[in-house]
Amino acid sequence: MLALFVIVPLVAAALLSLALGKKPKAIRWVALSASILSLVIAIYVAMGPQGVSRLDWFSIAGYSFGISIATNPLNAFLLLIVAGITPLIFAYSIGYLDTLSEQSRFYTEMCIFAAAMMLFAISGNFITMFIAWEMLGITSYLLIGFWYWREKAPVAARKAITTILIGDIMMLMGMLLIWSTYHTFEFAALATVADSQALQVAMILITLAAFTKSAQFPFHEWLADAMEGPTPVSAFLHSSTMVKAGVFLIAVLLPVIVAVHLQWLLIIVGIVTALIGATNAIAERHIKRILAYSTMEDMGLMFVALGFNAIYAAMLLFLVQAFYKALLFMDAGSIMRINTDKEDIYNVYESGARKGVLISALIGSASLAGIFPLSGFFGKAAVESVASNAVIYALLLLVEILSSFYIFRWLIIPSRKAPLEEDREIVVNAKTMSKWMAAPAYILAIAVVASSLAYLYLPRYLLGLTYPVISITGSIVDTVVVLMGALAAYYVYAKGNRSYLSSTHPTFHKIMLNSMAVNAVYVYITKAVSLAASAVGSIDYAFDKSIYALSSMFVKIGDVLKKMETGQTNTYVAAFIIGFVILLLAVVL
Amino acid sequence: MLPFIGIMLAVLALTLVASAMLKGNASRLAAIAGSAVAAVLAFALLGTVLYTGSFGTGESLASYIPQLNVLLDFRLTAVSLVLIVMASIVAFVTLLSGNVEMERLRVSSSLVLLFELAAIGLFSSANLLLFFIFWDVGVVALFFMIYMLGSANRRHAAMKFLIYELLASLLLLLGIMMVYFYTPIHSFDIAYITSVASTVSKSTQGLIFFVLFIAFLINMPVFPVHLWLPDAHTEASTQGSMLLSGVLTKFGGYGMLLLFSMLPIASAYMVPVMILAAFSAFYSVLVLMVQHDIKRIVAYTTIVEMSIILVGIASLSAFGTAGATYAMLAHGLTVALMFLAAGSVGYMFADRDIRSVSGVVRNTISTTYAFLLGIFATTGVPLTTAFIGDVLIFIGAIGAFGIYGAIPLAALALLGAFLYYVVNRSFLSVKRKSNAVAYIGRSQNAGYAILLFFILLFGILPFVILKLFGI
Repeated sequence: MLALFVIVPLVAAALLSLALGKKPKAIRWVALSASILSLVIAIYVAMGPQGVSRLDWFSIAGYSFGISIATNPLNAFLLLIVAGITPLIFAYSIGYLDTLSEQSRFYTEMCIFAAAMMLFAISGNFITMFIAWEMLGITSYLLIGFWYWREKAPVAARKAITTILIGDIMMLMGMLLIWSTYHTFEFAALATVADSQALQVAMILITLAAFTKSAQFPFHEWLADAMEGPTPVSAFLHSSTMVKAGVFLIAVLLPVIVAVHLQWLLIIVGIVTALIGATNAIAERHIKRILAYSTMEDMGLMFVALGFNAIYAAMLLFLVQAFYKALLFMDAGSIMRINTDKEDIYNVYESGARKGVLISALIGSASLAGIFPLSGFFGKAAVESVASNAVIYALLLLVEILSSFYIFRWLIIPSRKAPLEEDREIVVNAKTMSKWMAAPAYILAIAVVASSLAYLYLPRYLLGLTYPVISITGSIVDTVVVLMGALAAYYVYAKGNRSYLSSTHPTFHKIMLNSMAVNAVYVYITKAVSLAASAVGSIDYAFDKSIYALSSMFVKIGDVLKKMETGQTNTYVAAFIIGFVILLLAVVL
Repeated sequence: MLPFIGIMLAVLALTLVASAMLKGNASRLAAIAGSAVAAVLAFALLGTVLYTGSFGTGESLASYIPQLNVLLDFRLTAVSLVLIVMASIVAFVTLLSGNVEMERLRVSSSLVLLFELAAIGLFSSANLLLFFIFWDVGVVALFFMIYMLGSANRRHAAMKFLIYELLASLLLLLGIMMVYFYTPIHSFDIAYITSVASTVSKSTQGLIFFVLFIAFLINMPVFPVHLWLPDAHTEASTQGSMLLSGVLTKFGGYGMLLLFSMLPIASAYMVPVMILAAFSAFYSVLVLMVQHDIKRIVAYTTIVEMSIILVGIASLSAFGTAGATYAMLAHGLTVALMFLAAGSVGYMFADRDIRSVSGVVRNTISTTYAFLLGIFATTGVPLTTAFIGDVLIFIGAIGAFGIYGAIPLAALALLGAFLYYVVNRSFLSVKRKSNAVAYIGRSQNAGYAILLFFILLFGILPFVILKLFGI
């Protein structure tokens, strides 16, 4: 339960930055120091005893529902990643977000997010997890739509929250089904329960919910649009932490998933998403969206590893990906800042005045591609080494070659020489760029190199295994594939004419940029729902009108009857006589 | 135990007289003070019940109709206590901040007080005749609120409301009469009826159930008798809408809970009622999607939520009952918040159409975030009150109906998706120039803060309320 204190500084900072709206300059320091304090507590928690502790929240009808805090190796692992990245992101934000009026809102939301992510990391049952899970969704919504006055940001935020909301409801359904069947919300208790139909349905729902959070096919489109948010948000939520909540949840629940035989779902969805991500990243031109598609691909690979029941491989990629992706996003943000917020990679240029950005971007890219001693190599090679199916292995190699190609494209195109008239402005921007934006990237670059060591230590830490050996053949194949991709990118974009794929090969470009097609499907679904809505809406309207018509019919009948009441004596007398005669006839006959 | 209910009713009645005699803002201030005292008393009552661990023996104030053995007697249950707390909070906030325009203060304040009196009396009444009397007082108070204080088309909407509600009232009276004549010792006493209801023949029980079910269904409201609600809400003043959705619909919900606990025959109708409720949830969420008026949209969320509450009631389990009560608490607070925000938007922009209102956030950040947090609370985000309600309702529903019990949750996803669209369209957007014509005052912000405080309080500390169900 002591572990719960890890979120206290951040929650306090969130409230404080809300209260400090009038003194915006102080907020950033409050947030930064809170995140460092959280890191210290997180390290203390990770060193402390393992196990699950429980606190009752409410009880009803003899059952009690509680908050469960787990400090197992897996939980401590995620907690340390999140707690370690948070101060770096907050430091980067100091340089990035210089508008004073936005400080309060930004840091409140970021601190709540960081607290929720840490709570997610140490959650030991569904209720605790769900609290964190929903907070992640909400803060993600608020942060994507942070610049709500821009044209695309609110739409992107709504797309994200709608997808995530569907996932939330599926998650709630799944966890309630599990509770109703086994009367427990604890993750630990689930590992030993008997199989049942309800459990199968619940696990399918929970897996789909994890897919919505982790942007897997067919719920993946929101992630690329989420890049409308500020860059620290992209670096934090949409690459290294929040989107990986789904992966982590599945990792925690992996024994149950294996018990109900759902691995095929993870493998298929994972590999499809990885291919979609890689192809889109090749065709995309938006500097951050390329990285978003790459994130999608990495998470697909993690799901594939989980599908092969290789938790250490997934978690190894999980760890190294957090570092290199956060690094790449920070560099992307710096490049955009240098180029006065331009986003098209064909229109931005890196500057010689900021060599650090270029070098750290190179380290990040090489790691993402999977070049030997960098950490990315171990992550990707570990995933490939567990793929026991030949087809999947071949597809993984394909993904590998594509990802090497797109990331060097991402790196090479902006690093060409800028036209003279733009160069001056770029140099000025580069010189005035805050040091706070550069320093966290350097730290992350060191982390990217250093996290190679995780290959040696992580499996032992997580599973108590001696480290699994990635085969020499696999490594050589992997390296060859990566180099092929990198060389291809070099020849096409550095030596070649750097032409746009869309102008030279329009059909090929369309196939690669398949997110359009997925978006079209989304639009069709939305249209179908709104068609159903307008149909039901008109039924409701007609229903109301027909009741109105029914009631006005009574009024009309009254109107007709009213006409007989003329007030004329002779009419009444005539009516009386006619009636009397009819009555008489009736009696006589 | 102090006779809290009696004191509350007396305070409200005295304030009502004072408020009707005073003029202008003095009348409003008197009403605010009176309902604040009532709210404090409600919390004191809650505290006393939790502290002593019993609901007490009930309060008999006086003999009302000696010939029929009808007393002015009140009793407390977990459900009624929760709803009394909810009603007193909502009524207080309604008086404090509901009258955004600050017009016709005397009439509106007096009517809100009259309605609060009726609500608290109804939720605590120990016999069905008293229940019926308070029911009608509440309906009449709200009828006048719509008829006198609403917008342009108010008379039509008020009449429609009255006709639907009178139908419900007459069915209610008929049902109460039937109950009275079929119990062995003719009685209106709810506790007594509950204890002897199993001796009444099945067919009679079925008939009584049907009559009362329709009456409560109209009030909740649930498809197919929901049509009064959107019109009434659209035309009513902000205060009227807050009370209509926040408290009046709970009359039906409370009655429905009473009905399901009173008659044993109810267990035979669980499945049809559940199907009706689930259908109603999806139906109303689809109708909601073609609305443009913010108030109308919020009004339809009420039908969705009440349908989901009916799912909980129909599951006839401890979870379902507690969940339905909790969800009514949550919905009362949340919908009051949403209507306050919608009313503020209507006041600021002289327009509530989501197609033409834009840039709310530029004018008042508080209204935007109140609405946004209201959406979070509506869709049942954890740490808001609705989450506890949803969890308990659907645990009950899955227990009673199997996997199918979870299906109505999907309506919440559709609801949330559309509400975020509304936010996109009007609140968090400044594509065009904002066209506000006025600004809300400090009392509206206070109203948002109070409602949000309680939404979070009951969401973070659910054990306070749920302990009542263990007593």
